[in-house]
Amino acid sequence: MMNSLTSQQRKLAYLIGILLLLIPIIMLGLPSDGTKAGSRGKLAQLRTEYELGESDLGDVDPSSAAMNLVLLGMRGVAVNLLYSEFDMQKDMKRWAEMEATTDSIVRLQPHFEKVWEMNGWNLAYNTSAEWDAVPDRYFYVKKGGKFLMRGVRQNRKSTHLQYHVANVYQKKIGIADEAKFYREYFLHDPDPKFKGGVDPEFNPDEQDNYLVAKREFEKACNIEDQYRRPQHILDRTLFRSMPARCQFDYASSLQKDGKFGEVTREAWQEALTDWTRKYGQQEFSIPIGPLGTDVRFPIRLEMSAEDIRKEIASPDDAVRVAKMVESYRKMVNYYYWRTRANCESESKTAEAHRNLYEANQFYKKQELEKARDAAYAGMKGFEEILRTPEFSDLQAEESLVEECMLGMMVWEDIHRVSGEKVPADYPLKWLAAQHQGNHGMIANVQRSFKRLFLD
Amino acid sequence: MSTSGRSTETVIEIRNLSKVYRDFWGRPKVKALNALSLDVRKGEVFGLLGPNGSGKTTTLKLLLGLLFPTEGEITILGRSAADVAKNERIGYLPEESYLYRFLNAYETLDFYGRLFDMPASQRKERSEKLLDLVKLAPQARHRQLKEYSKGMTRRIGVAQALINDPDLVMLDEPTSGLDPLGNRDMKDLILDLKKQGKTVLMCSHLLADVQDVCDRIAILYGGELKVMGRVDELLKAQDETQILSSKLSDEAIRDIEAVLKKHGADMLKVDQPTANLEDLFLKTVQESRDRPGHRTVKDGAAS
Amino acid sequence: MSFDPQDMPVFDAIVYWMVVVGVLSIIVMVVSLLSLLVSHRGAGLRIFAEEILRSLTDLFSLSIRRIWALSKLTFIEAYRRKALAVFVVFALLFMFAGWFMGGDTRDMTTDQVKVYVSFVLRTIAWLTLPLIVVLSSFGIPEEIRVRSLHTVVTKPARRLEIVLGRVFGFSMIGTLVLLVMSGVGYIWIVRQVPASARDMLVCRVPVYGKLQFLDRAGNPADKGVNVGDLWEFRSYIEGATKARAIWVFPGIGERTLDSDGNLHLENQFLAFRSYKGNMKQSLLYDYQFRNPDTGATYTTEARPINENRGVTDVISRKLVSRTDGKTYDLIKDFVARDGTLRIEVSCIDREQYLGMARPDLFIRKPDVSFAVGFFKAAAGIEIMMILVVLLAVTGSTFLKGPIATVLTSVLMILGGEKAHAFMDQLMIGRSDKGGFQGGGFFESIYRIITHMNPTTELPDNMGFTIMTGVDGLLTGFLWLCKQVIPRLQYFNMSEYVSNGFDVPFGSTLLPCLLILVGYFLPCVMLGYFALRIRELESK
Repeated sequence: MMNSLTSQQRKLAYLIGILLLLIPIIMLGLPSDGTKAGSRGKLAQLRTEYELGESDLGDVDPSSAAMNLVLLGMRGVAVNLLYSEFDMQKDMKRWAEMEATTDSIVRLQPHFEKVWEMNGWNLAYNTSAEWDAVPDRYFYVKKGGKFLMRGVRQNRKSTHLQYHVANVYQKKIGIADEAKFYREYFLHDPDPKFKGGVDPEFNPDEQDNYLVAKREFEKACNIEDQYRRPQHILDRTLFRSMPARCQFDYASSLQKDGKFGEVTREAWQEALTDWTRKYGQQEFSIPIGPLGTDVRFPIRLEMSAEDIRKEIASPDDAVRVAKMVESYRKMVNYYYWRTRANCESESKTAEAHRNLYEANQFYKKQELEKARDAAYAGMKGFEEILRTPEFSDLQAEESLVEECMLGMMVWEDIHRVSGEKVPADYPLKWLAAQHQGNHGMIANVQRSFKRLFLD
Repeated sequence: MSTSGRSTETVIEIRNLSKVYRDFWGRPKVKALNALSLDVRKGEVFGLLGPNGSGKTTTLKLLLGLLFPTEGEITILGRSAADVAKNERIGYLPEESYLYRFLNAYETLDFYGRLFDMPASQRKERSEKLLDLVKLAPQARHRQLKEYSKGMTRRIGVAQALINDPDLVMLDEPTSGLDPLGNRDMKDLILDLKKQGKTVLMCSHLLADVQDVCDRIAILYGGELKVMGRVDELLKAQDETQILSSKLSDEAIRDIEAVLKKHGADMLKVDQPTANLEDLFLKTVQESRDRPGHRTVKDGAAS
Repeated sequence: MSFDPQDMPVFDAIVYWMVVVGVLSIIVMVVSLLSLLVSHRGAGLRIFAEEILRSLTDLFSLSIRRIWALSKLTFIEAYRRKALAVFVVFALLFMFAGWFMGGDTRDMTTDQVKVYVSFVLRTIAWLTLPLIVVLSSFGIPEEIRVRSLHTVVTKPARRLEIVLGRVFGFSMIGTLVLLVMSGVGYIWIVRQVPASARDMLVCRVPVYGKLQFLDRAGNPADKGVNVGDLWEFRSYIEGATKARAIWVFPGIGERTLDSDGNLHLENQFLAFRSYKGNMKQSLLYDYQFRNPDTGATYTTEARPINENRGVTDVISRKLVSRTDGKTYDLIKDFVARDGTLRIEVSCIDREQYLGMARPDLFIRKPDVSFAVGFFKAAAGIEIMMILVVLLAVTGSTFLKGPIATVLTSVLMILGGEKAHAFMDQLMIGRSDKGGFQGGGFFESIYRIITHMNPTTELPDNMGFTIMTGVDGLLTGFLWLCKQVIPRLQYFNMSEYVSNGFDVPFGSTLLPCLLILVGYFLPCVMLGYFALRIRELESK
């Protein structure tokens, strides 16, 4: 059949075939006409429907788009090669080159969230730990954080990436072993380039890292709400508690740094608001039916028994909901934080903290009488606070108990040094007795006590 | 330069030469040459004739070692065709001058002169002499060959073939593409080479050229030798006489006719003499088609 | 940065080369003799002998003048065909490169200088090499296509001379291009780097030593402690124990010192802390000089490391002991009779570790000018280019131009360090010796098809014995093929220069030259035979 055609006829046949096959492709791929309906090509319609257009996802990086185009679908191969390169460079500690490879990888996969997450984590946690000097470590923590922020810019709708950015500010800077240095560097960068100021890319508003973390967590929550992109890192109740938790961290850090004025009290006040008004009033959709069924009910952690009765018709369900609310409160430590914030936002608590802190400072300077008075005032203050039934939960709060015990230790020591007998009864004696068996805690307190001489 | 000297009168000896072109898989495709045997003697001008595809260029290329024989043997200037050393005394003008188009005439001759390991002074001297000999216009000599006309390319081609003052000159279609004037020059050159005692082997299908300059010819058809012998002998067979004169008036022709009549002969035609070889050629081709395997050799040298 | 320049074991390399070339040529000889015997029966032997004889004749009748003529022709050809247009691309790149790499030139860092130097050297290599590959791959095939080669071979030019002429001609073109480009590149670097940063453009001349260790009990050991790094390049010594890293530097004398008579020691030790300790203070180390002949020792004060950046310690020639006030002369008292200097490094901090490898401590001789290192690196590109020409010309004697280009490019890509490492693993074939899992060709196919775990032993029977035997033969063949692929890791010298080092002769230029020579002979012979047994006229 084919043989009977001349070469020209054959070519014509091929041409027609090609054109016929092109029609569906063109139809599928017609660009959108810009309207939301996207009535043109099917692909454009789907892209609009699922918001998968490059510019819907985040900032468009022209070099990345060009690279992917040039690779003609060989992106997977290229990325594979880059990863094996990356691995080698990591093992051989060639950090600058590894960073460059990382950069190429994300250029090839700009919308693969896990890639951003993994590489940002690698820079901030693994690479930074490979360096010995703390400023060098901090440099790579920043690198990781900035890298994740770049990921967010290119993936505006990623709750995950935004969460990890916030995480760097809160956990890497706030909780790491080197936290003391990092928190200081966060406001006074060790890089001579910044002349003792902040790195404007990392901390543009010159704020405390916990406040920045809080803001970033809030952004993550907003993304979740706005784009309906649930996160799968934490249970939602925990996830939504993060901004408020950062406020707690901020307030405690102020105390740790010896700031007990109005600023600190207000920080606690705000933490209380955040916890009970904002976080406590958020609705979480909770399954309450028996296992396997999907009966959901919106709950709030600040829900009173009365609220539940009012909102739920069936008494059976009400009981179940009440139970669930209780178990969620336990999970997020709801009562504890509420109590703590309540207590700390009282001015007498601030006063007690200040007294204990000053006692330590006087003791360091060997102004023993002043130290003893301050310590006693602090002990008395906490005696009163912890005896209040409302705050009795705090009797188990380790950092607070440690603080009190240190104060007592100072107070007792001054008695010893000045050759006086420690009175048979004194404020908070019962608290010390209560924690007698907690050897870890006692050791911590003793270490802190020793440090008062060393520092 | 020459080592073997004049040990033999025969310059080229071809025995039973065959060439089969094969395709990629080694399967025979074309039998280009079949059991060719011939000798070229020192000092003669030998012409290989044949229609396109008859095997004359194949023969030349086998002689030069550009192709390898399937069967048979070649001795050229006393050496094997595969021996590069034989090239010292050979000059070869390919069918189209395959030269470097980006060189000028001097550079071309200088380059080929170097390939003969000639010292600089000798190269310079030979170049000038040869360029004059082939009558390449002096103003053209510094231009790159890609700007040359067909005739100029041919001239520089001849010059490069003679750069080593060869004993044996092989010319593939020497007059193709030349204007009548160039044609004349070429033939003069060939006769001149003969006068210098050089052996010339040429192949051509321009019969006039061959007839004018060749001592002996061989006609190939379909890779086989059909006719071989001295040109005059091959043509003498016809009982005709040719008279060549300068242009005659009608009256003179009538007088000659009268003279012929007086001797009992008829005036057959008044024509140019080339037609004779052409006749022979056409006859040979026709005969080969009619009677395959027939061969005419009026020579006795080759059997 | 961590590179580890090792001198090439020249003698072993030559022996290895002779083995590979010997085996390959025997295989080629046997195969061609056999095929001649098959195709020509009895006459095969005679033809074979004739060919060998003729090759030898050709070899001994080489003419410098002919080779030069062919080289010059190649050069003129490339020149008149406008191959030098590559300069335009080069010029364009350099005119605008400053825009992209500029940054803030006022406070230029070492890293930026590094980028400049490696940009220039890389651009030169990346512009010249492809050009040269294409030029030399297409040279002979194009000549055959337009038949200008036919005219040449009907002259007394030997095919060997044609190959050589091509190789030399293309090398000349490449050399010209390289000369101009590296000259311009050099001037460009010097002009781009501001005067304030110009002292970063140096070539340090390191003297590397031999490194041994003492373990924490003071016993000799090959390696220190591994603190968990996957890469076993560096090993660690424990602080405040008898663990030492001992370097023995050869050839130390007056000339090793600077003009003021000081010894410059550069180190780049890594820190590993088993507990955080004082994080504001870097770990400390000290040097101890020890003369094994006299037993004299001198210990320097403790110094802090500067991880990943390095420290230069200037040790003055006159040493005064801090314990007993005795004075020593560094050269007279500590350089042993054999001209070696022994330096022991210890870590001061208890329960902390210092990591080090051989190149992490070196003696820095007086620097040489940046130009020296730069042009040595350019010479490295030059040698690589000649190698490329050689491979491409050889390929082009039996392949068409495009195929020869691809062949050469593939050889170049496979010549990289990683490709060789991969092939090595493939050759070993057994995971317990560091190779890939799953066995050779047939064995791995069998395992894939039957979903057999690579760690499972194969059943012990005749069939599998044959299979692994065949796999072994195939692997042997692959081994031979791998030997043909050049090892290009030596050729990249830009790393030295961009890191501010001189290019050491023994571990770079010498291996490169040897590799070139090693390829030259077999390649030229292969090209010669390929061209000779080829019927130029047949298509």
